[in-house]
Amino acid sequence: MKHFDLIVIGTGLAGLTAARTAAEAGARVLIAGRGMGALTLFGNTIDLLGEIPPETDIEEGILRWIGAHPEHPYARTGMEGIETALSEFQRLFPPPYSFAAEGRRNALFPTGAGTMRPSYLIPVTMAAGAAMTPGETLIVGFRGFKDFQGDTVSLHLKCRGMNIALPRYGLEGMTALALARLMDEASFRERLGETIRRQMGGERFIGLPAVLGLRNPAAVLKTLENTTGARVFEIPMLPPSIPGTRVFHRFREELIAKNVTVLMGHPVTGATVRDQRCEGIAVQNPPLTAEYRADQYILATGRFLGGGLSAGMDRIVEPLFQIPVFQPGQREAWFGKRFFDPEAHPIHHAGIATDADLRPVDGTGNVVLENVRAAGSILAHHQAIEEKSREGIDIATGFLAATRALAS
Amino acid sequence: MTKAKEKSSPFPKLPDVCVRCATCMAACPVSRVTPRFPGPKQAGPGAQRFRSASEVSVDDWIELCTGCHLCDTVCPAGVPISEMNMMAKAKYLDERGRTFRDWLLVRSDLFGELAARFSKIVNPLMKSRLLRRLLDALLKIDLRRDLPGYEYPTFRRWFGARPAAAGKTGRRKIAYFYGCFTNTNETDVGKAAVEVLEAHGLEVVVPSQRCCGIPRLGVGDLRGAREMGRRNIGLLLPTVREGIDIVFSSTSCGLMLRHEYSRILNLPGAEELAGSLFDICEFLLRLRETDGTSPALRPLALRAAYFAPCHLRSLNIGFPALELLRMIPGLDVRMLEADCCGLGGLYGFKKEKFPIAEEIGKDLAEAAARMKPDVILTDCEGCRMQVRHLTGLRTLHPLQILRDALKPS
Repeated sequence: MKHFDLIVIGTGLAGLTAARTAAEAGARVLIAGRGMGALTLFGNTIDLLGEIPPETDIEEGILRWIGAHPEHPYARTGMEGIETALSEFQRLFPPPYSFAAEGRRNALFPTGAGTMRPSYLIPVTMAAGAAMTPGETLIVGFRGFKDFQGDTVSLHLKCRGMNIALPRYGLEGMTALALARLMDEASFRERLGETIRRQMGGERFIGLPAVLGLRNPAAVLKTLENTTGARVFEIPMLPPSIPGTRVFHRFREELIAKNVTVLMGHPVTGATVRDQRCEGIAVQNPPLTAEYRADQYILATGRFLGGGLSAGMDRIVEPLFQIPVFQPGQREAWFGKRFFDPEAHPIHHAGIATDADLRPVDGTGNVVLENVRAAGSILAHHQAIEEKSREGIDIATGFLAATRALAS
Repeated sequence: MTKAKEKSSPFPKLPDVCVRCATCMAACPVSRVTPRFPGPKQAGPGAQRFRSASEVSVDDWIELCTGCHLCDTVCPAGVPISEMNMMAKAKYLDERGRTFRDWLLVRSDLFGELAARFSKIVNPLMKSRLLRRLLDALLKIDLRRDLPGYEYPTFRRWFGARPAAAGKTGRRKIAYFYGCFTNTNETDVGKAAVEVLEAHGLEVVVPSQRCCGIPRLGVGDLRGAREMGRRNIGLLLPTVREGIDIVFSSTSCGLMLRHEYSRILNLPGAEELAGSLFDICEFLLRLRETDGTSPALRPLALRAAYFAPCHLRSLNIGFPALELLRMIPGLDVRMLEADCCGLGGLYGFKKEKFPIAEEIGKDLAEAAARMKPDVILTDCEGCRMQVRHLTGLRTLHPLQILRDALKPS
């Protein structure tokens, strides 16, 4: 059986980043996940720390944050680690479909709920959203496409909006993927651009659901901007996220090109541990269970949805290695009073506490597994949703975990 | 064969495991091209919550699922989506009854030998416009789909008539499950498999075998599929019990034998069989890793695209053929970035489904046009048929290229 240098468990952004980092360094890598990870659920934009107000320089904001949150994953990676990891991520997306920040600060982008949301790195297809002004923007949805209502979104954004008929028959009930795929067809998007142009009343910006192509979104953007004469931007909406799907596909393509063994669709159900070292993992595809071995392992299985953490009636556990999970006491202490409490529910702090090397530690700070590192949202002491740091944590800790794993 | 211990097939996980995250909607090749199929989320766990064994099926779009399993490979919650679709399809078709076309097509293994024997007559006949029009009008087998030609002698006959190669007996034995299509329609794949295995120092044996039954599963004929499975397990277990591993060169046959016999059909002996079954490229890679068997590969100056079949993805063994191909010096081999060829086995031959198969295939055809390879390599016969049809390019099993590289120059 092939012996790997590194096995990454989890196919989300953290796991993909870790696998790519190690493969780029020439390591023999296997990545295993029971599904596609969370890139289709989140992954529209690369949030770094939405908490930082747009007027504050991002570095200043992060350094202050680390000072105030010494246990936060960003305290492990440091600002330098974040910057290196983010620029590596950007390198994976060369122009024309590239990711960039609006200066070195957060900017506000419209969402499919009609709100403005802060984020940091943005794909080129969303960039114009930061510049839009309500009086000069037209929001366009498509009739028969249920996931995005142009009129509702525009109501909240206080601009003009509508749902137009798509320039082809028989598309009612089309999914986001189906629409994105159609956009890759030049004649379709040209006719769509024409249809939109006829509805315009002098607007300088056009917002559309984030379905502007799977394979060549930058070309879709260009066609629509050329035909309408306006700046066009995508608006993130309900899952599955098309921008997240693009990110996933780009990573997968790169990993396969770098000869990484990619296993998807079946869970890692067991791990052999001896003397605080992981010796192998088991992937179950009934009726068979296959074992894979490596020198180093990275655990990037996410939180509850991804299966990285599992909550029983009164304890939260990490089901694969039984790593001690940092958690806020008993069940009654897990949740705040209101569902939409602006403060994160205490359970959101739960996760795996680590040393500076991202190796899991127990309550007294002792490393429990020598050759296993944790990365991504499974880490403790962050509130990725509320502080809007999900992708940043994934990328920065995925990068750090892989770098440290290969160095040891 | 004993009939004892055959379990019924309750769902190991209920549809409620699905949290409706819609990740499967990003993977389904069918709902990507037509709004007629609501997609895995809705067709699988969504509709499953309303299905009842005592009520008549109403979801007539369930037939549009190709059974590619891609939804299963992306689901973060472990919902057996394609299995739910399969069971719903089986119930639907049990109630409606299957067409004569479906009855006929899933039994191609029965007339394959005969067709091969008379291939000189059968092949031109299958190309005749008149017959194709009749098949199109009466049986709804689409006129635009090329029917695969038959070859004689069959692989099995060729193998049986081979003079026992000197020096090849007494080696470690390996059994080969070739599958119907290799036997009667693409015999060179089987020949390549034998030559490649022998070049790795093995003695090839070919145990008796039947159609794996996956075509029957495709039309929800669980009884028929179970029957084929039961026979194959009976035929193959003696080989396994002699300590001989079995390799397959068709990833769809392989998925059926290794996983569906137990996962869906609950056949006794399936687990024992699965433990000794390997994808042929997976096996060759293991051989190189564990025994250090690495016969020299001579350079091949070719630009090749490798396409990963859906059922290979479902086997979840990575891309062993691609790994092997990359060892050939001079061979420029790259992954063809497309998710599904669209054929879905017999699915793409059916007149009412042909346009869906074509539309899915368009993405693959465009990816191939961007790469402009000399040859496209893929492990599944269905994919090869569809790739040839879509691109007109030379399309082979990776083993056929590997054999060339193993030949002494």
